[in-house]
Amino acid sequence: MSDQFVGVPDPQQQNGPLAQWLYALLAEKTQEAVGGPIPIGEDVSFPRGNYHAAFYPQLPNFAMALLRGDAGVLTRYAPLFFHLLGCPICHRAYLETYDALRAARNDDSKPTTTTLHLSSSANLSTTSPKLLVFLCQLLIGQARSILRQAHREHSDEDAWARSLLQQAMGISRYIMQGTLRQRALRDLVEVASLYQSGSGDAPASPTTLSYSALVGAGSGSRGRRMRRAEMLSRPDEQMSIELRADSLEGTITQEDEMLILRLVDLDESLRGKFLSISVPLGTLLEPVRWLGGNPYAIRSAGLVGPDGVLVTPLGRTDLRLSNPEDRNLLETLFKKLDVYPAEP
Amino acid sequence: MSFSAYDLRYHLEESYPALCSYLQHRAQRYLGQLAFDAFEVDQVVGHVIEYLARIQLLGGGQQAPQTALDELSNAQFYTFLNRMVQNKAIDRLRRRRLPMSTTGELEEQGNPDEENDPLNSVVEPFWGDTPFANPEEAALEAVSQEQLRLILKKCIEALSAAPHQLQAVIQELQELGASELVQEVRADLSLDLENTAVPHLSQHKDHAHKKLRLCLQKNSTNLAVMVAIRLIEYGTQSSGTGNISIPIRTLVQDGLSLREVQTGLQHLVNAGLLDWRGEEIVEITPAQQRGLTRFYEDE
Repeated sequence: MSDQFVGVPDPQQQNGPLAQWLYALLAEKTQEAVGGPIPIGEDVSFPRGNYHAAFYPQLPNFAMALLRGDAGVLTRYAPLFFHLLGCPICHRAYLETYDALRAARNDDSKPTTTTLHLSSSANLSTTSPKLLVFLCQLLIGQARSILRQAHREHSDEDAWARSLLQQAMGISRYIMQGTLRQRALRDLVEVASLYQSGSGDAPASPTTLSYSALVGAGSGSRGRRMRRAEMLSRPDEQMSIELRADSLEGTITQEDEMLILRLVDLDESLRGKFLSISVPLGTLLEPVRWLGGNPYAIRSAGLVGPDGVLVTPLGRTDLRLSNPEDRNLLETLFKKLDVYPAEP
Repeated sequence: MSFSAYDLRYHLEESYPALCSYLQHRAQRYLGQLAFDAFEVDQVVGHVIEYLARIQLLGGGQQAPQTALDELSNAQFYTFLNRMVQNKAIDRLRRRRLPMSTTGELEEQGNPDEENDPLNSVVEPFWGDTPFANPEEAALEAVSQEQLRLILKKCIEALSAAPHQLQAVIQELQELGASELVQEVRADLSLDLENTAVPHLSQHKDHAHKKLRLCLQKNSTNLAVMVAIRLIEYGTQSSGTGNISIPIRTLVQDGLSLREVQTGLQHLVNAGLLDWRGEEIVEITPAQQRGLTRFYEDE
């Protein structure tokens, strides 16, 4: 018996070696150091390998069942219990959960609301951008974990993942600094594609050009972000979202409710043709009413001109490019925009 | 502006600022000398936010399963968050080797918002009386508690599809002196594995360990044990045949969902102990009753 088992109550004095064997068996290959929390500002959208989505969320219920002394709790939570033997991260979280729940249960009568010092004006616009980035990354990371878990279990959690991504997009519009918003949404397109690839909605046509919105790159020809007051003072049609596909450029502008796509320098092979435009994140946000109803296949209103220019409407929205939060949301929506010939 | 677990689940955008504000305030309160170190405050606040996201409360809506936190009153929920912050703050202070108070001492101070808060005592381990405070204690419980030991036995027996792997584990257990468990496995499987040399023993052992790890952490194993017990306990005799029949809805109680019952039933079907193809009522023959009883009894 190892020193670790000395002192552990075992009236029968016979299970120690078996317990040691079981512990070694479960801890094998899962020797993860108990690290500190992820510092705010570091990328958390890709959950560390030590986040176990199948077990971690069960911790509060397990701890509460232990605190209540529920009958058969260890059998009920046996997989989690065995997991805790070999996973120091989850075991540590279990200890924290148990302790905090115990305090909560013992403290019901205390009027803790008197100790709250919350500003009545607290809102996302005044919340630290770092904490907003952190939350967006966590939500996107959770969506990824849920989709992967669902894939393993052959279940469908697309609606859940979609809801988390929508919340991340919604919250990110309050992050005014472009680089921070970029960081917050770095994995959004990739995670969204995880559920879209299984939904059958995604376009099957090969993409000819794939544009990306330059998140936080600024507006229009000025090349850098304008101050809020400047943005508010400019008419909608002068505001734009810049798109890039390698050396090719494009813009999205707004005329009243209509979003207009303008692509330039398109290849000769595309000239004189109708194009199909796909906005992969288009189904995530409802405020845009896409032309034709399908954001994965918006047919251009006209042909690509002989000069390689295409100007075509995409859809109507009540969002305003002149409003900083709305603009951020639209910019996120066009993080990816694919273009391909409407007819082969 | 206040918030609740419900708000964080269903109205995250509106309630997140209040959560951050609350956590920051509490973190500064408990970080003592580090109260104005923005990095340390972020560490504590970020830890609790990450926890709430990982348990799927933040923005979980109706899709994320309800947790014990959803059942807390608002006052209890704040106490929960407060304690999480406090423990993390103590952890940060400990890492920086700065003086701190024990949880008990902080509680004795009454109003924690008093200006002159003495954070000047030595901290004691704060998991002291938590069950299974270390994994070794949990391992001992796992091999001592009847039904957990039964699950372990079932997982070992499941190795019988790969006899060399089973034999490798049996040999290990014999060397440990776990003769009682070995005898139970042998009796259940009616196997005579003695005196058979196993080539590539360590390779088989590695494979067996991997399978055991998966089996022990798989939900169907424990659900099968729980469902088998309920089938025998709740079943009622059909007239004449000796069969017993149990409506599935009878099994769905005391913490087991319909899906979990179905998972457990399917596991028993796969083990050859039941004939069930999704019917609302499970019919069990006398022979199957004996098999089920053997399945969950720790002989």
